[in-house]
Amino acid sequence: MNTSVEQSPVKLETLEVDGHKRRPRRIKFGLILVAPAILVILLTIIYPTIYMFFVSFFRWSIIPTLPRHFIGFDQYLTIFRSSAFYGSLQATFLFLLVVVVVELLLGLGLALLIASSRIRWLRISFLMPAVIAPVVVGLIWRFMFSHDLGVINYFISMMGLERIAWLGRPTAALISIMIVDIWQWTPFAMLIILAGIESLPTEPLEAAQVDGASSTQVFRHILFPLLTPVLSIVLLFRALDAFKTFDIIYMITRGGPGRATYLLSYNIWRRAFFENNMGYAAALSVIMIILATILAKFFIGLLSRTQKMV
Amino acid sequence: MPKKKSIKSIVHSAIIIVALAFFVFPIYWLFVTALKIQVDIFAMPPKWIFTPTLQNFYHVFFESAIPQLTMNSLITALSNVGISLVIGTMAAYGITRYKIGGQKLLFWFLSIRMLPPIVATIPLFIISASLGLIDTRIILPVLYLIINIPFVVWMMKSFIDEIPESIEESARIDGCSHWGVLGRIVLPLTAPGLVATGVICFIFAWNEFILAMVFTRSAHTRTLPVGISAFITEEMILWGYITASASIAAIPPLILAWIFQRYMVRGLTFGAVK
Repeated sequence: MNTSVEQSPVKLETLEVDGHKRRPRRIKFGLILVAPAILVILLTIIYPTIYMFFVSFFRWSIIPTLPRHFIGFDQYLTIFRSSAFYGSLQATFLFLLVVVVVELLLGLGLALLIASSRIRWLRISFLMPAVIAPVVVGLIWRFMFSHDLGVINYFISMMGLERIAWLGRPTAALISIMIVDIWQWTPFAMLIILAGIESLPTEPLEAAQVDGASSTQVFRHILFPLLTPVLSIVLLFRALDAFKTFDIIYMITRGGPGRATYLLSYNIWRRAFFENNMGYAAALSVIMIILATILAKFFIGLLSRTQKMV
Repeated sequence: MPKKKSIKSIVHSAIIIVALAFFVFPIYWLFVTALKIQVDIFAMPPKWIFTPTLQNFYHVFFESAIPQLTMNSLITALSNVGISLVIGTMAAYGITRYKIGGQKLLFWFLSIRMLPPIVATIPLFIISASLGLIDTRIILPVLYLIINIPFVVWMMKSFIDEIPESIEESARIDGCSHWGVLGRIVLPLTAPGLVATGVICFIFAWNEFILAMVFTRSAHTRTLPVGISAFITEEMILWGYITASASIAAIPPLILAWIFQRYMVRGLTFGAVK
């Protein structure tokens, strides 16, 4: 192997002589490699998405034999006039903001602690929440949130405090869902930030310590700037995933009580497959896609400003 | 001075252990509940020490639809992983080495991953209904391509980037065909990455819920998460059976993540953090 590598520069020159002949074939092979993936994505997601814009202009039942009525922008107008939509939007963004900020800060704090600790080998246990199905996570938390028989209220009453109706009150239910998301994804944030800390060059940190910088100074002026690429990856993934939260809502609150936890995904599912209103759900989906695109653009922009990801 | 330092490190360790307890406890509680008899499950205060029983698992294994749902989940996930790996790795290789599409195409794939799945379900449901694909065995493996192909492209790109290109060039010069370089040089050199990528794809497909719930109806197509979600009714009494089923869903990803821990952070970030 070694010799062939050494020989390659010589042979490469001869290759370049007829390089112009090889180029079209090279591109052709490259296209053959990439084509199936593009084709699958076009067929399974791009075409359906375009089709959805079409559906959103109709009154469209889930039952295929029922007639469809073209109603233009009516459904969009209804959405923009309904307070339920704004409630859902508000809950979604409140949820997103709280969980992302908490997960990022907690993850960062824990990562900094673990990076300098002697029990670093324990870190792998933090992987567990992130790989378990959200359905299972929702199920077990619902069990633990139970008012009379839940273990959480048991701990709370043991501390001499009043039992909490976790899922019974609007605000408490939204907070409960946030706790579950924070539980599942803080370790994810922590592990990624920890991997980022461990891949940092040690010289700047050592130099700063030699120069007598305090640990706050080291963090603010050296560690934090070096970590921004990793932090923006966490932000990108967490923000977009929090935006589409569905499973834990379905399992824990079903949108309730009232409409307190009707996050957008759940709202759309309910309209389409519960209230049998595909057109309305499609219009909501169009709005959701636009919001997701804005979010993704923002965070990918943030990411490419802080680093060259690829 | 050294004494102060050791106190600080003890406090740090204590915080880490408390955090770890918080993140591990619900999983512990799941498994422990699955091993309790009905009376112990609802005991207040909770029974910390109890006689474990396998009767919940026995019931779930031999007297419920869970084994069939588990098989459905396995078949769905495995067939999806196979196709995703082939199509995704080819694309990753084409983008990395043949410079097709470049950054733009890569970020196009990433943006597909960022799309909320619920948004795709409505048009896909209408289309698959008219094609008669609802509640068939092929619909979920096909739909999971949307999730897993972009993932494989990014992961395998990060692994292919790590092989020196000169190896492939010299193989070409020695007369190896384009396919030959891919099959005999690139794949063997990225084999660990390929396996890790497949494992993480498997976990995604195994855990997926919303598409499975919308596109399947009967016990011969439903996957494990859908079966578990159906336990959530107004009065949930049979917590032993429920937690035993949920444990069956939770164990494979936990074991796989443990074995492939070296690759998990990379996998969860699409290959961006190594």
